[in-house]
Amino acid sequence: MSALPPALGQAFRIAAAELGMAAAARLFVDEVAAGGGAEAIAALRDRLGREYPVLDLAAARWLAGEAPPAIDPGPVIAALAGIERLVAVGLEVHHLDALLPRVPAIEVGLVTEGRALSPEWRRVLANYDGQVEAVGLSDFQLWAGPRAALLTFVYGGDSHVVHVSGQWLRVSGPDVRLIFRSLIGWDVVGGALHVYPRWFAEVARSSFTEVIG
Amino acid sequence: MSDAQIVLSAILVITLLAQAFAPALRVLIVTAGAGLACLAATALGVADTGAILAAVPWDVLVILVTLGLLSQIFAESRLFDRLAVSATRVSGADPARLTLVFAVAMYLASGVVNNLTALVLVLPVIHVLLGLGGMSQRYVSWTLGVLLVACNLGGAATPIGDFPAILLLGRGNMGFGEYLVRAAPTTMIALVILLVLVHLVVRPARGIPSDPLSTRLTRAVMEALHRRVSLRRRLFLPAAIALGAMVVAWLALPQRWGIGPELVCWIGAGGALLACGRRGEGLARRGIDAEAVLFLLSLFVMVGAVSRTGLFADVAHALTELPVSPGLQLVIFLVLGGVLTGLFSAGPSMAALLEVAESLARDLPGEAVYVGLAMAVCAGSSLFLTAATAGPLAQALTERAELRDAEGNQLRFGFFDFLPVGLLSFALILAVGIAYALWSLGRA
Repeated sequence: MSALPPALGQAFRIAAAELGMAAAARLFVDEVAAGGGAEAIAALRDRLGREYPVLDLAAARWLAGEAPPAIDPGPVIAALAGIERLVAVGLEVHHLDALLPRVPAIEVGLVTEGRALSPEWRRVLANYDGQVEAVGLSDFQLWAGPRAALLTFVYGGDSHVVHVSGQWLRVSGPDVRLIFRSLIGWDVVGGALHVYPRWFAEVARSSFTEVIG
Repeated sequence: MSDAQIVLSAILVITLLAQAFAPALRVLIVTAGAGLACLAATALGVADTGAILAAVPWDVLVILVTLGLLSQIFAESRLFDRLAVSATRVSGADPARLTLVFAVAMYLASGVVNNLTALVLVLPVIHVLLGLGGMSQRYVSWTLGVLLVACNLGGAATPIGDFPAILLLGRGNMGFGEYLVRAAPTTMIALVILLVLVHLVVRPARGIPSDPLSTRLTRAVMEALHRRVSLRRRLFLPAAIALGAMVVAWLALPQRWGIGPELVCWIGAGGALLACGRRGEGLARRGIDAEAVLFLLSLFVMVGAVSRTGLFADVAHALTELPVSPGLQLVIFLVLGGVLTGLFSAGPSMAALLEVAESLARDLPGEAVYVGLAMAVCAGSSLFLTAATAGPLAQALTERAELRDAEGNQLRFGFFDFLPVGLLSFALILAVGIAYALWSLGRA
């Protein structure tokens, strides 16, 4: 454990704020594994696993010899058929990077308020070169309509409930369901978290039009 | 001193003190002071407002605004994001090398574009690096401090880097090439000495673990954060071509053509904005730094009113009458200039001191006086965090970044955190400036 840098927790937090929990977990597991192998991954899980459950799951999978879940935007693209405006709530850059080039005709907004970990939004948006627009909590409803959808990232769960970012609770609600055609959840971890789902809120799976993945 | 000299210089000094103590209200304070100065000058029969406004160096304001807009195009082109990523790669994310590489990068960038623009875009990257590495308070203070000083030195290195040099160019005290060939090597010498001292003597990275895993993670995270941030050539190329053409024009156009640096700026920046289309229009409408323009206009008005009373000429006369050698007179002027800048910041000090410098330059070689003054103002700007052009901004952005060390303690970048860097930089830059001025005096 002593081989790990002392500021590892802070470094993960910075990466998670700007890349998303799943993308940051994947990056940290890859880099720590390349630098220190199984011993370092076990130490990483021991040190940060309880605080960051997605990192814990990614490290556990690596130790078990499992590959990380593949990112397949196909089902999401199918769910977005006929959609002209998409508002993404939450940030997972690997998933957005895979999805957005495949839906160039859709106007995409990203809710930039209400996140527990605040990134440098100017830099986040610069990675999408004008394809993604910043949307505030007070004006995301301007994006609503019969050809508009809300998308958020799901961090595991079971057949009844799923885990989502707290930001989703501030956006979704019975009134919002009426003004967007679809509320889509995209599971980015592909399994149940092993530890208490810190950073996430539990919502009914049925509150989504569709949960993919 | 005459009544007019006492009243108008009191308005100037009180206004400068008030804006220094209440920086949040500085624009309101200096614009009110300027109005009061015009009223007092009219009432005391010194000059009416029309005459004072006619003497404002509008060409300097034109240069400032147009260069600011050109900086904005570079910022929009994401040049600084790419520069920051390249600097991270070059440094290998090693704490000791990070300070050196970013200081050199900021020096070079500040010579061409506005300090504030460069810093606003590069600081978030530096904050991420500081956070990823879990740096100590000492490291953060020295690294951010050295970056600010490097910005000041870069701004003084070229005639378009910062307000004091722009003022020299705009008022025709020195030509573009004339200033560049003297100030660039002088500021570079000061930067090299500062970096050597910091790297070998202060050693801010001492005690910070630089293990392979940390640097590997830092590099990987930085690449991921900027994975698709690329240079926007449609914005970068017009701005780079315009800047190149402007530099050629400043260097090559014969003076007898009457095309001054302000017109070169106007046409160059205007052309670059036009080439950027709608984005250029947006920048022209919203990208002008109205705060800086109002602040400097008000300073010019107050200094102009005092100048009309003959006070600056009297001060210069008193200085040249001191029973010491011309070299020592110049040294006294430069030390005073440095200290005044430390207290009042570069804009106000340069506006007032240039009036005295122009009188001194009648008897002493202009290059010794003006480049020496630019270095003294640069030294003063580096003395306190409040005097540095971008100091308060760096402080605010660092607070917002909520940096913590490896133990989780909050990291700061306030007045006293900067002070050791400021004292060292002030002494060093002033010494280099004085050495240059004396060397130049000896050659004349």
